[in-house]
Amino acid sequence: MRRTLDTGNAAITEGAIIAGCRLFAGYPITPATEIAENMSRRLPQVGGYYVQAEDEMTALHICIGGSLGGLKTMTATSGPGFILYADPMGWALGSEIPLVVVNAQRVGPVSGITGAPGQGEFYMSRYPTQGGNYETIVLAPNSVQEAFSITVEAFYLAERFRMPVIILADQLVTDGWESLSIPETPEEVEAMGLKVVPRRINKGPEFYPATDEIDIPPVVLGHNTGAACSDWTPTPEGYDTEEVDFQHKHAYRLIYKVRNHKDLITRYESYFVDDNPELILVAYGSPSRVVISAVKQAREKGMKVGALRLISLWPFPDEIFKVQAKYLSVELNYDGQLVREVQRAMPKGSEVHFFGKCGELPTVAELEEMMQALLAGKEIKARKWEWEAW
Amino acid sequence: MDYLATKYLRPRKIPSTACSGCGLGQAHKKVVKAIDELGLDIGDVIWGTGIGCAGRQTFNTWKGDNFAGTHGRAYAIATGLRMALPPDKKIIMTVGDGDAFGIGFLHLLNCARRNVGMTVIVLDNLGYQSTGGQYGWTTPQGYRTDSSPYGNREPNWTQEGRDVLNILREAGATFLARYTSLQGQEAVEAIKKAIMNNGFSLVHMPYPCVTNFAERALGTRKPVEIYKWFEEHTCSLHEKGPEDFAFRTGIYYDASNSRPEFSNYMRTWVAEIQRRYS
Repeated sequence: MRRTLDTGNAAITEGAIIAGCRLFAGYPITPATEIAENMSRRLPQVGGYYVQAEDEMTALHICIGGSLGGLKTMTATSGPGFILYADPMGWALGSEIPLVVVNAQRVGPVSGITGAPGQGEFYMSRYPTQGGNYETIVLAPNSVQEAFSITVEAFYLAERFRMPVIILADQLVTDGWESLSIPETPEEVEAMGLKVVPRRINKGPEFYPATDEIDIPPVVLGHNTGAACSDWTPTPEGYDTEEVDFQHKHAYRLIYKVRNHKDLITRYESYFVDDNPELILVAYGSPSRVVISAVKQAREKGMKVGALRLISLWPFPDEIFKVQAKYLSVELNYDGQLVREVQRAMPKGSEVHFFGKCGELPTVAELEEMMQALLAGKEIKARKWEWEAW
Repeated sequence: MDYLATKYLRPRKIPSTACSGCGLGQAHKKVVKAIDELGLDIGDVIWGTGIGCAGRQTFNTWKGDNFAGTHGRAYAIATGLRMALPPDKKIIMTVGDGDAFGIGFLHLLNCARRNVGMTVIVLDNLGYQSTGGQYGWTTPQGYRTDSSPYGNREPNWTQEGRDVLNILREAGATFLARYTSLQGQEAVEAIKKAIMNNGFSLVHMPYPCVTNFAERALGTRKPVEIYKWFEEHTCSLHEKGPEDFAFRTGIYYDASNSRPEFSNYMRTWVAEIQRRYS
């Protein structure tokens, strides 16, 4: 075990290498550039390739090509690059190409502030491409160490589910410096609870089984299996077709291979939710750390509040919103992206409120003030763009 | 095509769904013939395509491994694939003119710059024909299409002394040629050279579209008219050709195996780094 002090970007790099990633294609963008830089230094040392692409679209397409050829691949970007992934993401989802995509979210809209955290691509990570008829797997770390383990897990899930897996981080996680433990032997990897699946090869003949089965090896070209892969609606053998029947089967598979195995994906942490608290704070990524501190402190002061920290974001963990309560969604945006999902998932009789910050974390004091107001049923101060009752 | 088709193509894809009179079959056959004459096996070739007439008609026709990218992106996918595949595997791509010289041109230029080992055959039907016949980047200026009802106002990539092959040469491509689908064995020979170049090769192959281009531009769907028009507008690279527009054909540039191929270079270089740091 190697113990060091490093950034989330370094943690993601090391996690990817341990998971077996041997091709990284990327395009420099703050705050994800260091992943590319680290990869360009580390990959050749382990026999892997770094390619700097001419744009983000190319970067993800190169990763798709590498994965189609049998390499584990990853790319990393921030919001303005993530939107350019929309084109290849469809290809990867539709053709069931395993790979990992990192999005270090910065504050927007559009280019926004390069060095400030945001959480503006929550919905875009659910709907990152054209055509619909798919599910996504999205994981959100809130620390440097977790950025490491989630990267290993992302490769594991990508391989088992045969699809791209998105790591939705934010600038504070990727740029932040924290202690980091990196396992150095397979035993240490296992002791950390991490699993690595080797790359498998689909020998055919069925490349797109019309079932929700997982653990089907992905299509790999170059083994002369007659494998075919395209962005058109496929027949089970990979021929392009205009028949709606095949489209139904294809869509069913893309949606339900994820939904029907949700238990393998869903991860969250809960704090003080067993005694039916009146108020439950919900967050993911770096603001969740402030939320957990604030809730612990509030409990010490006798306030009946709890917290849910989402680690897997999609498929959305509806089932963890069991308690009828007031919910407070704490996010790094002003439009309240998580709010609607909480609203949909919470039990009848619950309420949802929103606390947004942009480009900086909320403080414990701000959250405490908000919690007190909500518990007392008081009207919230009119800072509409930050505090709003839904 | 019978012998070649039985040997190399998937029965399910024959006959193709191309319009009758389409020149794509001639062009497609030249590629398969070149592969056959080189003695390549099905397992030696990974066949890539894009979208449009060329993409749809040639995807998964090859008995071996296949892929098709979204419009213009096949070259970026092929770059990644090249890194992962054993060096002896050939990547041969049959794409359209819009795919290569329009939406995918940036990727194509960067593949040429990196000298990524692939053979790109641009099957050019002079515009966007699978969407109904709009002008493209090889439609001659002045010609009428569905989206240029008063005649195409834009100069194309091969007129007024301009040649898209010049740009690709400057970008670093190591083999470049142009033949129309109407030409014979000389075109096959050029494709063979393109495949044998361990680097980025491109063969531009214009072919007649009877259904859309001929109908709008020449006012007839009679195949003979567009074939005649093709003959009249074809000349060698060194000739001036007709005033309005010409397919200037021949081997434009052959610097085969003169520059290191991208994935080979990367492999050697990565091995060197590993040696240095182990």
